[in-house]
Amino acid sequence: MGSPPLFFKWSSKILPWLLFISITVFIAGLLWGLFYSPTDYKQGDVYRIIYIHVPSAILGQSIFMFMAICGFITMVWRVKISGMLLKSAAPIGASFTLIALLTGSIWGKPTWGTWWVWDARLTSTLILFFIYAAIIGLHSSIDNKTKADRAISILSLAGIAIIPIIKKSVDWWQTLHQPSTFSLTSAPSMTPDMYQPLLLCFLGFYLIFALLLTMNLRAEVVIREKNRSWVSKQFLNLER
Amino acid sequence: MAFRRSSTYITPLIFFLIVISFFPIALSPDQDFLRSLAPGVIWIAALLSSLLAIETIFSEDFRDGTLDEFFISNDPSFVLVFAKVLCHWLVTGFPILLASLISSLILYLPVSSLLPMICSLILGTFFMSLLGAIGAALSLGKSAILSAIIVLPFSIPTLLMGTAAVSSAIDYQDYSGFLLIMGAMLAIGVPGLCLLTVEAILLNYE
Repeated sequence: MGSPPLFFKWSSKILPWLLFISITVFIAGLLWGLFYSPTDYKQGDVYRIIYIHVPSAILGQSIFMFMAICGFITMVWRVKISGMLLKSAAPIGASFTLIALLTGSIWGKPTWGTWWVWDARLTSTLILFFIYAAIIGLHSSIDNKTKADRAISILSLAGIAIIPIIKKSVDWWQTLHQPSTFSLTSAPSMTPDMYQPLLLCFLGFYLIFALLLTMNLRAEVVIREKNRSWVSKQFLNLER
Repeated sequence: MAFRRSSTYITPLIFFLIVISFFPIALSPDQDFLRSLAPGVIWIAALLSSLLAIETIFSEDFRDGTLDEFFISNDPSFVLVFAKVLCHWLVTGFPILLASLISSLILYLPVSSLLPMICSLILGTFFMSLLGAIGAALSLGKSAILSAIIVLPFSIPTLLMGTAAVSSAIDYQDYSGFLLIMGAMLAIGVPGLCLLTVEAILLNYE
């Protein structure tokens, strides 16, 4: 299952299914959230951005966790494919973090009156994005790709150790320096009508992540192994 | 070794002082204003100059083969890496500590905040040296800006805790908590970061 040719074979089988299911759930969740959930009595329709903002923020963090696990596997067992997984997950995680930041500031403008506040959570998300950027930058700077995989697995392991510290220290910094102006967690305890579409959105976003990751990884595997016989055989067969 | 060339320990020192003196020039020479900025200014300058200093820590040893001996020798290699970082910090971090005393005069810091500033700088710049060692090892023979991009996001807790310690000392509040956190980070960082640095150096031998 782990070797590149085998992965390519079984992922070709599940890819159409994954494509179908993930896009269906994603679109269903967004439609339900954006059009059919009740309007918030305080914020009006603006709150609906939560159906994009919260899942992508959560995903930005859990992809980093996933990358650290891949990094550990790469470092300890030298599994080739987990390094490629790590590499293919990084841009996806960075994009979701960026989406969370952008939608957050779009949400912040009408509700808080400003695009950006130096709130603890905003700051730590921004730093998470910087760490993603560092990982992508490091990988692209090393020509030998197997070496680059191991380099970024070192970095992602260091990152997973430092992220809780960053979160905590930013929290302390905020509580000590200025009274925390806003709290993102104070979403008025949601009604099930609002909560159920959010859950579906979570599922949809995770499935989209799985889809993007599989597609990225397939491309990566083919690029890395382009000189191997199984790749040429695969594509020659497809053409026939 | 590093002592033979004065550039290794003079350059970060001068850089630190130049950065410090730019802030009053660029912002405002007003005393109260500068005092409120001083902890942040000193800390940013210290982070940048220790990053600048650490960037070449392994490059010469890598070129002349000293680094090869690290892994051939019988001693555990992460201890040797730790010793290397410690020596490097003594040579480059120590002048910065002295310079921070001068700069606290320039920026009108009250005398009562000098002790927390020195303590937090000792803990913080050493942590930065450990982090910088990873960055230097990962980007060995590549651009320095890459190493900076790798290291700087990781230095944020140090920056926050350091400035918080100094500025709470200015307000006559208890600052020992921040120093304890920095010490704890250092205690975790010494074994953890040294091991990761060894792995990062080994990458260059494949």
